Amino acid sequence: MTFLTFAIRGLMRRPVRTGLTIVGISIGIAAVVALVGISRGFETSWQNGMKTRGTDVVVSSMGSAITPKPFAAAEAERTRSLPHVAEICPLFVDFISVEKADMMIVSAREWGGFTWKNLKVVSGRLPSDAKEKAVVLGQTAAEVLQKKVGDTLQLETAELSVVGIVDGGAVVENGSVILSLSLFQEITGNEGKINIIDVRVTPGTTKEEMTQLCERITSLIPEARAVLAGENIRDSQAYRIIRAMSWGTSLLAVLVGVLGVMNTMLMTVFERTQEICVLLAVGWKRIRIVRMILWESALLGLLGGVGGVIIGIIGVKLLVTAPAIRGLLEPDLNPQLLARAVLISVVVGVFSGLYPAWRSSRLMPSQALHG
Amino acid sequence: MATSHAGGECVFEAITLKKEYDDGQVQALRGVDFRIDAGEFVALVGPSGSGKSTLLQMLGALDHPSGGSLLYRGAPLAERADLAAYRALEIGFIFQAFHLLPTFTAMENVQIPMFESPRGAAERKERARELLKSVGLEPRLHHFPSKLSGGERQRVAIARSLANGASVLLADEPTGNLDSENAGVILDLLERLHREQNLTLVLVTHDMGIAARATRRIEMRDGRIVSDRPTEPSLANP
Repeated sequence: MTFLTFAIRGLMRRPVRTGLTIVGISIGIAAVVALVGISRGFETSWQNGMKTRGTDVVVSSMGSAITPKPFAAAEAERTRSLPHVAEICPLFVDFISVEKADMMIVSAREWGGFTWKNLKVVSGRLPSDAKEKAVVLGQTAAEVLQKKVGDTLQLETAELSVVGIVDGGAVVENGSVILSLSLFQEITGNEGKINIIDVRVTPGTTKEEMTQLCERITSLIPEARAVLAGENIRDSQAYRIIRAMSWGTSLLAVLVGVLGVMNTMLMTVFERTQEICVLLAVGWKRIRIVRMILWESALLGLLGGVGGVIIGIIGVKLLVTAPAIRGLLEPDLNPQLLARAVLISVVVGVFSGLYPAWRSSRLMPSQALHG
Repeated sequence: MATSHAGGECVFEAITLKKEYDDGQVQALRGVDFRIDAGEFVALVGPSGSGKSTLLQMLGALDHPSGGSLLYRGAPLAERADLAAYRALEIGFIFQAFHLLPTFTAMENVQIPMFESPRGAAERKERARELLKSVGLEPRLHHFPSKLSGGERQRVAIARSLANGASVLLADEPTGNLDSENAGVILDLLERLHREQNLTLVLVTHDMGIAARATRRIEMRDGRIVSDRPTEPSLANP
């Protein structure tokens, strides 16, 4: 028998209540894992998308919307001849409803730009020129839309041919409908407008030089801002709101967990008043009683944390297969996040046990004689 | 007035010991004086509310006196910084209602006070086994309290009180929840421990038959000691 035995037996006295408390914490921690994992995944997905497109610097105007604000396509030309710029590719990226899918990434790229080069054709082909009324679909997008090469796709008012299925190498790319920029501008009435410029720098360019390039581009194009690839999503006000909401909701869930554990531990202390007094009467120091209660609450937190991580992972895996968001998200459930979630849960457990532990330490051993 | 009956080393000495509750409205002890020497078997008797259990609590440092002083082996108990260590190592407490932890086996219950001693896990286990064997419970080592009879539970509680080698046993109505047969077994056991290990035994009871088995009887009434005398030999050894 070790000291941990006291914590385990204490929790086993009321298995149903202990179980329900663990479920309560698990749900809170699952919310943390799912919401933070998804919001981080959103960032990771965009970063991976940029990486596979071969983009080093992104020029866009991330306002309050989830996609960047449009600006004049002519602005792109100002960047083309800057030092360290190897290639640029103007794009128009939007989230729109496409046939059965409520929300789909439509990625329109300047025909011939470097962002087409990393697309591996799985079946069919790429559009033959900028004017061909055709799209290629990322593998996931094809599954979601249930399209194959040769089918037609209704995009806004235009009927386009699906000429190829591609592997873009990243969730965002594979979940996209990809077409030429000029065709998309024509269909959506956005002639002369783009909302992103992807910039590839010359080999050997240092990070410092890229930062200087970003500053230069930003000064040249007042409507947009140039940032290193991957950082642009963090500039998005919408993304910041999503992130804040995910943490806010997580905080609420954790708060509910704190109250749940505190309630359980207070009940435990009230129910076991006599038992605690007996422990004091047989010579246990008050600090040992405090430790016993804190071990119990920490154990509740640990079990809730592990349960929450498992529920969170399962929940997120189920969520990303939902038709409405399939192909849009690549949840980032990295080991650090999962370990942090368990750690939060243990801290919640210990924190929640502080008041009950303090209460238990105030008991007088003479109470053991009553009853 | 402190009275010595055994003439040995003084274990407890109470000087005008008082205990009040509810801001003095209830006076449980109204200034008692006595002395208990090492190796004595003292019965504290008296009707309900006479203050005998309160006195036992003071001896066990389970509560603080409101006035007067209580010395343990010549030093004021109230001034000890380590009252928990006193309860853990110097005395053993036996309750009327046994107060075993229900989710722990007999072996585990006996080990509980040993967490305050330097013994390791293996040593704790071995000592608990020896103590339970000494009270005749070797076949019941791994039984939970709910699977033990009242007498067996009290024997586990006695083994627990001896876990850290206490030299003083304080027993509050130890046979109060037992039938006469089991009560006899428990008293025999306490007497044997007192005799074999030269333990100082202070036992609260309202049963004069049990009190007669002690070597000394302190009678209390309304928070005062009304008599303090050795038990008549014929009654002490029936």
